Amino acid sequence: MILTLMGLILLFMGAVCDLLGAMGMHRFNTFYLRLHAATVGTVGGKFYPILGVAFIAAEKGLWPVVGISVLTALLVLITTPVGSHALAYAASKARIVEMELDEFRGEGDA
Amino acid sequence: MIDKVIYVLFAIYGLSGVLYFIRLIKGPSIVDSILAADCVSLDVALIALLLSIYYKNSFLAVGALFLVLWAFILDVFAAKYLTKGEVGT
Repeated sequence: MILTLMGLILLFMGAVCDLLGAMGMHRFNTFYLRLHAATVGTVGGKFYPILGVAFIAAEKGLWPVVGISVLTALLVLITTPVGSHALAYAASKARIVEMELDEFRGEGDA
Repeated sequence: MIDKVIYVLFAIYGLSGVLYFIRLIKGPSIVDSILAADCVSLDVALIALLLSIYYKNSFLAVGALFLVLWAFILDVFAAKYLTKGEVGT
């Protein structure tokens, strides 16, 4: 019972984070700001709910689902920052999306 | 009790997936579409894990692992080919 309750709390927290990330993808107007919204929606909205799925599956006795869920949660936690960093590097390097204020090239006041 | 709650969770995560998919369709640049595709595939992975505890079937959960790995491979290889200038703009 307590494991199911913990899993449901994690799942609803993740649902709120996921909705906020999905709304941020439409509210923000630059790619680099949308990257922030997508990372909130991924780490807060996918990592914690997958751990919640693992708790609920442990209560129900589905042990293969527990193993796959924990492995998937760790993979999400490791690979998502790497992927978004690579995308931001590519967008900046190939000049697909121009930065408004580039601190490294000495433009602007900052 | 938990089956009723899972219906609500399906609705919320499905709505988020639809919002991400709208951004995938109308993304101004190609990196926006790649980012939205990443989020959609992770969302589908989570829905597959929820389905596996709804139907009490362990075989449905295996697809989630490959969806997560596919999202990572998509990000890294798209970044590689965009940096080298072979595709994109």
